[in-house]
Parts: sequence; C-alpha cells; structure tokens
Amino acid sequence: MKKIWMVALVFVVLVSVAGAQQQLPAPSPLEKELAAKASDVTEVTLNKSMLGFAAKFMDKNDKDDQEAKQLIQGLDGIYVREYEFDHEGEVTPEKVEQLRSYYMAGSADWQPMVHERETKNHETTDVLMKMVNGEPHGLFVFTAEPKELTIVMILGPIKMEDLHKLHGIGGLGALGGIEKNKPKGGKGDSE
Amino acid sequence: MRGLVLVPVAAMALAVPVAVLANGGGRGFDGVVDVIEARYHVKATKIPFMGLVSFMAHGASHGAASNLHVAEFEDFHADVDGQELDRLVEDRMGDGWSRVVKETSKAGHEQTLVFMRDEGARMGLFVVDKDGGEMDVVQVSVDPSHLDSELGKYTHHHDGKDGDGGTD
Repeated sequence: MKKIWMVALVFVVLVSVAGAQQQLPAPSPLEKELAAKASDVTEVTLNKSMLGFAAKFMDKNDKDDQEAKQLIQGLDGIYVREYEFDHEGEVTPEKVEQLRSYYMAGSADWQPMVHERETKNHETTDVLMKMVNGEPHGLFVFTAEPKELTIVMILGPIKMEDLHKLHGIGGLGALGGIEKNKPKGGKGDSE
Repeated sequence: MRGLVLVPVAAMALAVPVAVLANGGGRGFDGVVDVIEARYHVKATKIPFMGLVSFMAHGASHGAASNLHVAEFEDFHADVDGQELDRLVEDRMGDGWSRVVKETSKAGHEQTLVFMRDEGARMGLFVVDKDGGEMDVVQVSVDPSHLDSELGKYTHHHDGKDGDGGTD
C-alpha cells in the first residue's frame, strides 16, 4: 500500500514539473514560404536540454559567461525567426496578421507591454511578457517592417535587465544593446 | 530449365545496384558529403587517417569528444541557395537530428546550419558551414559532463581591455 502512495507521489511530482516547463511553439505553416522568399534567414530553436548543452560551452572562469550560463540553464527555450527580404511587399500585411495570430494563440498568460503601429512606414511592433505569480516567465517580440520580419520568443524566468546576457546567441545580437542603452543607475527600464 | 533459374537471379543482380543507386549513396555524414559533392560539383578534401584522428580526439579529450567526422570543401565558389542546402542536408543526415541554428541566404557565400541530436548521455553535433570559398562539414559526439573540465584547459584569459566576448 505504501508503494502505491509512493508511485502516486512520484507521478504527481513528475506531472507538476512537466507542467511547469513551457514548450516552444511548433514552426508556423508559413515559415517555409517566408524562408523561400527571404534573401536572408536566421532561425534558432533551442529547447531546454539544448540550452543546457550550449551552456556547457561557456567559460566557467569568465564572470559574464557564468552569468549568462546561469540564465540560460534556467530557461525553457529560445525561439528566433528573422527574415529579410530584397523587396517591399514580399510579406503582405495579411500574412503578418496570420503569423501574429498563430504565435499569440492561447496566450492568455501573456501581457502586452508594447503595441505599436506605424501606418506611414508599415511597421508594427508587439512585445508581450508572460507573468506567472507576478514574475516574468517569458518574453515575446514580434516586429514587422516592409523588408524584415522578426519573431523572438524566450521561455522561462527572465528579467529585462538580464536580456543583454543572451546577445551571443544567433539572432539575439540586438539584445546586447539593451544594457548599453539603459540609463546609468536605471533599473531595467529599456526603450 | 536452367535458363528459367537464371532469369530471376539476373533480375536480382540488376535490382540490387539499381536500388542502391536510386538511394543516392546512403545517409548520415557520408550521405551529406556525397549529396553536396553531387549537387555543387565540388570534391571534399580527404583527411588521411580520419578514423585514427577521431580515436585520438576521443583519448585526448578523455571521452568528451568522439565519433569525429570532418569534410572540407575548398574552392567552393558556386552560388548556394540556403534553403536548398538545408533541404539537401536534412534529407540525408539521418534520423533524430533537430536543427538549432540556421543562418542562410538566397545566393550568399555564408551559410550556417547547426543540428543537435540526443545520444543518451552524449549529444551529437552536426555543423555545415560555408564561408566564402570554403565549406566545412563536421559531425562529433560530445559528452557534456566532460566538457566543463576539458574546455577549461584551453581557455585563455585576457586582461579584459579588449572587451571582446569572442563568441564565435
């Protein structure tokens, strides 16, 4: 009888751990079409085990690397899609909307932080943060310009002031500028 | 009667090489190298005693790196469509690989594909990288538990003046 309780307990623990871990989105059906049209493509898909593996390559004697390593090991996944096009109009506003809807489907926990629409330049920006018990557990950035489309999803506990530590990962280079742009003495307030 | 027996035997003898040719030279590392050679009309530089090199790498790294395969293409000046290269590599590399990094361009000379595969306690890495007129294809199996200690030996420390992370 004791064994049954133990098995049930282990099962509950495993289920709760699995539930706490967030899954990366499946690639959008539009991805191949966009990649075929784009002149330059950057795609990064790192799940938790791959991030743990990538963290092993970081220098344990380097302070910055160690900070990045700790951050990466706590994350559940990193998902980056960046498409650059030679000509405007290769990605239509309808496709952009389709993509946005795809990634934001089931995003009840995600809270919008930035929602910007520039009709003159046809540029749109959405930044959403996933909040769990008042703590940030994910960041989603979606920007569309006439010749460029960028999607970044970082899952797991993440703070704005730590984002620059991820700049070494392909497609996340721009995150390195966050700290540089941050006013001295400021607490994580980015642009 | 003997002629009747010879017909199926001859058919089988013909069918086997036809099937092998249709398959296009197999899968895995060699399959990827073969398909790149065939598609872009380039020839991989043979590295002599690669098996021995792989064995020595395993020993020298105390098991951190093993199953090392390297192919180098020099004078690779053909235009490469990154999407096509990705498709060719994925078709031939075998099962279990997940692409983690893709940095490609339509007709560029810089293309990078990185794949990972869970191999139990180890992790497989497969890299296809074209930079200018050279392409490298590398497959290696790595033991993450040994990486920390082994990589630490080869880390050089600067005084921090240059501020270069050197992440590549």
